This record gives sequence, C-alpha cells and structure tokens, in this order.
Amino acid sequence: MSERSTQSRIPVKPHYTPGDLPGFDYATQLNEPGAYPYTRGARPRPAGRGGWIQRELSGEGDPSRSNAQFQYLLAQGQTGLDVIGDAPTMGGLDPDHPFAAHAVGTQGVSLCCLEDYRQLYRDLPLDRITLSHSLPAAFAVAALHTVARERGFDPATLRGSVIQAPYYCEDCSYAIHMPFKLRVRLAADVIAFCSAAMPKFHAFLEDTYFISESGLDSVEEMALGFVEIRGLVRELLARGVDVDRFAPRIAILLNCRMDFFEEIAKIRATRRLFARMMREEFGAKDPRSWAVNIAAHTSGLSLTAQQPVNNIVRGAIQALALGCAGVQAIEVSTFDEAFRTPSPEAHVVGLRTQQVIDRESNVTMVADPLGGSYYVEALTDELERRIWEMVQSIEAKGDPAALSDSGWFRTVFQAAMERHARALADGTLEKVGVNAFQVPDAEDVLLRDVAERKIEPCRERVAWMAAYRAQRDASHVQAGLQALDTCARDWHANLLPAIVAATEAGATMGEMAGVLRRAYGHPADPFRRLGDPL
Amino acid sequence: MGISMEKTRVLIAMLGLDQHEVGALTIARLLRDAGMEVVYAGRFNLPAGIVKAAIEENVDVIGLSCHSWEYLYYVDELLQLLRTEGSELPVVVGGSVITPADRQAVLDKGVRAAFGPTAARDEIVTTIETLARRRRN
Repeated sequence: MSERSTQSRIPVKPHYTPGDLPGFDYATQLNEPGAYPYTRGARPRPAGRGGWIQRELSGEGDPSRSNAQFQYLLAQGQTGLDVIGDAPTMGGLDPDHPFAAHAVGTQGVSLCCLEDYRQLYRDLPLDRITLSHSLPAAFAVAALHTVARERGFDPATLRGSVIQAPYYCEDCSYAIHMPFKLRVRLAADVIAFCSAAMPKFHAFLEDTYFISESGLDSVEEMALGFVEIRGLVRELLARGVDVDRFAPRIAILLNCRMDFFEEIAKIRATRRLFARMMREEFGAKDPRSWAVNIAAHTSGLSLTAQQPVNNIVRGAIQALALGCAGVQAIEVSTFDEAFRTPSPEAHVVGLRTQQVIDRESNVTMVADPLGGSYYVEALTDELERRIWEMVQSIEAKGDPAALSDSGWFRTVFQAAMERHARALADGTLEKVGVNAFQVPDAEDVLLRDVAERKIEPCRERVAWMAAYRAQRDASHVQAGLQALDTCARDWHANLLPAIVAATEAGATMGEMAGVLRRAYGHPADPFRRLGDPL
Repeated sequence: MGISMEKTRVLIAMLGLDQHEVGALTIARLLRDAGMEVVYAGRFNLPAGIVKAAIEENVDVIGLSCHSWEYLYYVDELLQLLRTEGSELPVVVGGSVITPADRQAVLDKGVRAAFGPTAARDEIVTTIETLARRRRN
C-alpha cells in the first residue's frame, strides 16, 4: 500500500500526539489487563515465558503418519497440537470418493471414521495437551469425544478447539457442500453439545484466518468474523442456551499480516468490541464471557514462492507482533507455504521462531507493552470504529442466509482477491522478491529443494476403505445412519448424539454428511457419483 | 465474419478438490481485461467434464488453475481424452505450486505452456493469444 496508509487503507500521519486521542479515558478505553473491556489482554498477568500455546499446523497422509508428525513436534517442544484435514476431509467426503483420487493426504490428514481418530490420537496425553482442530467440527468432536472415553479420559477434561465458519466456508476454499441452514445448525449443535459435555473445549473457535486468506483486509476480516459470531450467538440464545454457558468458550482464530502496528491494534480493538458486545448487547454476566481468547496464524498469503527463505523473516515479524498483542496461541505459517503443507524442516523453523521470541526477546515480560502509544491507541480506536461500521452495514442488508445464498458474501471475497492481485501487479503492495528486489529463477535456490519436495497422494487409503467398509456390521451402520436421518428431520433436535452413535456404529463421515445433505433436500453426494447412503 | 476479428475464448477450470480459487479468478479477470472471452468452469471438475465443456463451448484454449498437486496426475487423463476426441485444443496450466521441474514434466507430456509464480501477466496473455490464433488459423 502507499507509504501513507496502512494495509487496510487507513490514512496514517507522520507522527502521533495526545491530540490524536481526544477524550481519551484510560478506564473506559483500556483499563488494566484482564479487566473490562479487555483491550490490553484477556488475562491480568503478562504472558511471561511460554505464555502462549506454541503449535504448528500439521496433518498429512494417513492418521498414523500424522500421529508420528505430532510426536515429532511435541519432542521439539511444541506445547499444543493443531491438525488440519486434507481436501476430501474438509469437504465432508471419504477418501475413496472418485473426486478424492489425487488429493488424499497431500494437504492435510485423511480422516473419515472412528478408527482413523484412534490412530490420530494414539498415545497422546489427551488430558494434558490442547488439541486444536481445523476439521469439519461436528464429526471431529464426535470422534474425539468417543476416543477420549475409550481411552479412559473424561471428555469434560479435554482442552482445545475446533474451527467454525459456517457462514463462509463454501465461498472460501473449504466448501463442505451443505446448505447454509444445515451448516449453521451443525455449528450451533456442536457448541451446545460441548457446553455440556466438553465444557473446557473451545467448540466455538471463530476462524477469521481462512476467510481472510483470499485477501480481505483487517477491517473486512474482523467485520465478517463478528457478523458470524453474532449470528451464532443469536442462534444459541434463540434455542434457550444461556449466554454464560457457551460464551466463555468463544475464541477467535485470526490472521496476522505484515502491517505490524495495524495487526496489533486490530487484536486490541477486537477484544474491546467483543467485551462490549457480550456484556451490553447480549447481556452476559460472567466476566469470562466478556474476555475473548485469541489464537492466530501468521499470514500464508503474505508469503512468497520467490526466495522462500524470506518467509522465515516474515513469519518472525508477524509472530513478534502477536507476542506484543498478547494472544493465547500462535501458529507460524511456514516458509514452504507457497508450495506445500509444511515439511518437517519448515515445521521446526516455525516452532523455533516462536521459541526464540518467547525465550530471547522479553516482549512478553510486560502485558500490552504498546498500550498508551499515541499511534497504537489511535489506530485501535479507528479499527474498532471501522469494523463496527462494517458489521452494521452487513447486518442492515438482511438475513445472512439470503446473503450467502445470493452470493453476496462471495462477491466480498472475490473483490478482495482481485484487489490483492491488482495491488501486487501494480506494485502498490510491495512484496520483496515479487515486485521488488527480484532475482532470476536460476539464482533463487536457497531452501527451494526443501520447499519443492512433494508428498505422494495416499492411494492405499482407497483399498483400506474398501476393507474397512466390508468388515463393518452393515445392519449396525444402517441403523446408525437411519437414526441420524430421523434426528436430522427433527429440526429442533441436537445432531451430535446421533453423530456420536453413528460414528461408533462404524459410519463414515462421507455417509453421515450424505444423510444430512439429503435430509435438507440436497444430493447426498454433491458430485452425484455415489449411491444413496441409506 | 473475419476469423481475425473473433475474440479468443478460454476455458478456465480447476481440477478435483483443489478449491483455492484466488488464482483462477485472478487469471479470468486478467484474460477478460485483455479482451478475451472467458468460460469460467471454476472449482470441482474432472478431466471428462472439462473436455466436454471445452468442445461444447468451442473454446480456443483450456486453462487450468492449480493450487494443489492434483493437476500433475489429472493432466495425463485430460490430454488422453482430448486425443480420443481427435481434438488438438491447447492445454495451459498455471499456479503458484508449479515448480520449474513440474513445468518441464507437464510440457514433456504435451501441455503447451506452464506458468509458475514468477510468470509475468503480459507473458500469460501473449502466450494464450498466440496459441489461440495458431489454432484458429
């Protein structure tokens, strides 16, 4: 962007003074860390050493291979796990679906049945580490709940999270091929289920990271995120769930781009907006409902295929911003992001980046070290104003289901993609190695061997699935799917108990997703290649 | 109607479950801005569907936007299907995941052009125009 505005196109002055904070009142705008409105942090004490969960996004191949990846990362000092599914898994399809042929296990782990989750979590101390899931929430939570019980852990002790983005996933590269109403119902069902059965688990992890990777700016990212949070809160309140039952377990997984101060200000503005909204608008009484937990990914979109070693620097700058903003968990997008899901080498560099900031920089010794900076406070106020304005303008457009179905959300994402591409092409968004300081391909060799190494699709999963399906008790599976179908057609029932039961009966995610799509009048198989699961 | 006056028609599609659409939309816009007609097939296509659409829509070039490695495997099937149809439609691939080695591999298979992350916009437009003109003449 121009040197006189932030990445979100907020005009910036050469310097800031007390005059930029008219009417500034410490107690109202900031207050102490850990006190309403939580601008300065959700917790009263500074993060300190090891003050955030350090994890790297992982998952590749079959579940056993991903389990080995987890063990490797834990041995390197990772303090939580974060797993993402491959393209079929994220789409609610089994690995033997015809469209999955060349995509199994290459961009995440392939997961579709209870046995897979047993392998995924094998030997992991489920009661002692946090498990963050970028997976179709209902199916992942059902399987985790069962595996924990099988292993003798009380699900109520499980900590971790699962992403929710029911409004936007179809338009943001994580389509699960379900209609809006079903996506929202599944999200609310998971949240309601966990608020009783897994009360320490953040089943409401609003994921603004992946929606913004198309090129949304910070204002658009958080505005769409708040629209979705507000929609889900209203949905849960309409069901009669008490706000203080679920609100303490709302968290936001957000994006951290290259604009250092803007991203810090965005996180501070988000905490303040959230606190005011929960207390004043939704009437939450428990202070834990006001203080939102923030996890963050450093921005994959900010990374480049050119000169991949520079991505290590980008990750470090973004993670340092997160350290200064005070967040509860960080994932550093790795230097090979433009080419592949992380290699073992890149995983460790991402983790070491976090460890160096944590152990060597002292940025976490003091909570909110930038609080009181004229610039950061002015920017926090401005971002808060712009985010809230955009939330209101979107809500004024009417029913989110209609906005989704009519493609309005999609136009927002498309406009952002095009704006980003144009800014890179015309150089208004400067990118070292892309539109500045380029080198010829032949000289661009450092770390490229690692970045370009490939993972073969996990083709043996197709035969494995055939054997898995054959050895199941077919009548058991059918009964589980029938019960799920019946439950799905009772619009007021929570789907989770039926999903847990069908999972335990041996049903696959593809079959269960198919039953649900069908109950909502959609084809069980979105690509119309498979027969009916019932 | 003079052949040289015809607008170049390009099918832009993605393969399999690759659904990171940024590149496909960007390239569609780039080609339209350059005066071409884009038939946008978007996400979730298998080779047979792409060949069918390309022939029915009478395009001059098939452009595949690739953000996963699936294209490396689907390209063989796509080229084989075109040969079976007796079609010589040029196939072009582009995307940030395409490394120099991948580029050479797909060119050897019969893909007519492959654009990695460093390809210039002008180069993409010119190459596609040239392939289309050669096909029409």
